[in-house]
Amino acid sequence: MLTQTLALFLDAYRELNAKKLFWITLLLSGLVVLALGALGIDDKSVSIFGWRQNWLPLNTSMMSREIFYTLIFSNLGIGLWLSWIATILALVSTAGIVPDLISGGSIETVLSKPISRLRLLLTKLGTGLLFVALQVGVFSLGCFLVFGIRAGVWNFGLFLAIPIVVLFYSYLFSVCALLGMVTRSTVAALLLTVLLWGALFLVNMGDGIMLMLTENQSLVVEKREARIDLMQANTVQLLQTQEHGSVEAAIEAGYAPSDDEVVAYNPFLEGQFERLESDRETLGQLQFWTRLTVGVKTALPKTGETIDLLERHLVDPEALQMGEPDPEPAFDLEDPNQDIVVDDDELSERINERLRGRSIWWIVGTSLIFEFVMVGITCLLFVRRDF
Amino acid sequence: MSDLAIDLSHVAKTYKGKVRALRGIEMHVAPGEVFGLLGPNGAGKSTLVKILMTVIRPSACKGTMLGHAVGHKPTLGRVGYLPEHHRFPPYLKGAQVLDFFGAMGKVPRRERKQRTGQLLDVVGMSDWAGKKVGGYSKGMRQRLGIAQALMNDPKLVVLDEPTDGVDPVGRRDIRDIVARLRDEQRTVFINSHLLSELEMVCDRVAILVQGQVRSQGTIDELTAGQHRYEIDIVASGDDVAGALGTLRKALPGGVTEKNEGSSAGLAKRVGFSGTLGDGTWVEIERTMLRVGTADPLAIEPVIDALRAQGVTIRSVVQKRPSLEDLFMQAVTDPTTGKALAPGAVRNEKKGAH
Repeated sequence: MLTQTLALFLDAYRELNAKKLFWITLLLSGLVVLALGALGIDDKSVSIFGWRQNWLPLNTSMMSREIFYTLIFSNLGIGLWLSWIATILALVSTAGIVPDLISGGSIETVLSKPISRLRLLLTKLGTGLLFVALQVGVFSLGCFLVFGIRAGVWNFGLFLAIPIVVLFYSYLFSVCALLGMVTRSTVAALLLTVLLWGALFLVNMGDGIMLMLTENQSLVVEKREARIDLMQANTVQLLQTQEHGSVEAAIEAGYAPSDDEVVAYNPFLEGQFERLESDRETLGQLQFWTRLTVGVKTALPKTGETIDLLERHLVDPEALQMGEPDPEPAFDLEDPNQDIVVDDDELSERINERLRGRSIWWIVGTSLIFEFVMVGITCLLFVRRDF
Repeated sequence: MSDLAIDLSHVAKTYKGKVRALRGIEMHVAPGEVFGLLGPNGAGKSTLVKILMTVIRPSACKGTMLGHAVGHKPTLGRVGYLPEHHRFPPYLKGAQVLDFFGAMGKVPRRERKQRTGQLLDVVGMSDWAGKKVGGYSKGMRQRLGIAQALMNDPKLVVLDEPTDGVDPVGRRDIRDIVARLRDEQRTVFINSHLLSELEMVCDRVAILVQGQVRSQGTIDELTAGQHRYEIDIVASGDDVAGALGTLRKALPGGVTEKNEGSSAGLAKRVGFSGTLGDGTWVEIERTMLRVGTADPLAIEPVIDALRAQGVTIRSVVQKRPSLEDLFMQAVTDPTTGKALAPGAVRNEKKGAH
């Protein structure tokens, strides 16, 4: 049993070894590692090959070197290079695994061996992940060494990228394998997988936009509620002063104006209540669409969020000292109808909070269910097909 | 449990398009024999082989291979298979191909290493062991394929068109390999179009036509009663009509002419067709007399009569039907005298007339 599995993996390695694309990708990975290693940070600014980049508002007072290198590793190395460019190259390299396996002249010899079809296919699918595993393994090792030698940052957490990127790639590869089984064509499988990936990207983008709009609206509602509370408090004080000379005297006399009195006294409050009602209605609608988008996403593989797990586990948001948020502009009671402005940093923090609130079970578990369904259908087709 | 290497009592396969590729195959292959499977295109030969090798799932299958039910995967560890039109990964070297498929056949590493060298030598490919398969010719790939089929030291070797694309020297080598396998008491099951090749190596054959076994047995069994003598005379002045008269005169008495049942083509081609008094068939075509007997004593009176007429005899040859003759008989519709259309039988649509 082990003999056959080892033989299939050795064969997969030999196939990769024979492909120029594998070595080109590896070479490019090496260059990306060197480029990332060229970045430096000190107490003044960021530097590239020793040249200071003063226009970049980053220094060690904002984040430690370890966080800096972890962030460029997860955002540039993994987020951009490995999960986009290298993934496309990996798909090009591995899209042919299933069509090649089931092609005439090839499948007969393998099926005539004492190995079950199910095990044969599952092992072959496993070998399909070898390309990515090797690429991300070499890349992580390269970054680990370069960051360690360059900046003294020896972060073993970087190797977490290996399972995460392989997991991310396995979602796409499961679709590619199914399409390869159905169409028997490498090109069709590749193109349709890239199309699906594009669709996933759009759904993810839609989710991001909906989340941003919802959180923005949520903050608007919170701020309007706070504004109304402030206006009501001020109006109460005004009424108390007007009736009893001072707030304290009014309290002593047990005077507290009713809500109707407060609203009647302050003509702006009614407008604010109406706007609050409208804001809440908008928030409700946005929450409905956000839930719908999340529902759709639940059934799909969550490629972006899976990759983001790396940063989620490597970077503690508390460790980021990105400066104090801009002070909120003081509310001008003389102009209560002024628009509510949501601070970008605050919104960003809320969005990140929500994203980090999404459980690993939801991100990985539901994606794996999707993957199992894809692999299951592929296996069913393979086991039942005549060649 | 059957002692036969292959013992099929009922194998059927109907494809989705209602094509009945196999219609109840019954076939028996004894251990240690070389068995040939013949048939026209679309007869179902490859489908049968692929069912044995679990490449195709049968619609119905009663039978065993090496004592286990057909489809029993572990049994395939004792079977070697050379598929028709096989294709090996072009990035692998010859020796790596053998090692890979040997490993897939669960052959231990040390044994693989040992057998790789031996088998490359057997198929004459030792010099190409380190070269990538992508650069091999068709014949070289075929040789490597045979070596691959023998990597697991099989008890049963199934060869699908083994001489396809191989030059005459290669064919002879492959025949030698088959003979060697027989000497080693291995069973060899060959599916081939090259009837002359099969005739040279097979102990028994089966002829498959339209998904059914038309005939099966040793060539002697299949040609029993079909041996004949052919006497060719020299016609004076190319007088073929005269030769017919001369030959008829030489036949012993009690000859019955038989024209019933002969097709128009046969009547036109054959000048005379009939039976002797003892029931032996005779046939005259131009200057050739054919007598349906294997007994030389039976034709002596004919030769004497011809000599008495002063006829020059060009040749007297004892013949038995070749495998090709058997094949042609099997694929010829007895009612029309024409070869059956190639391909499998299709289920007729309901209501079709």
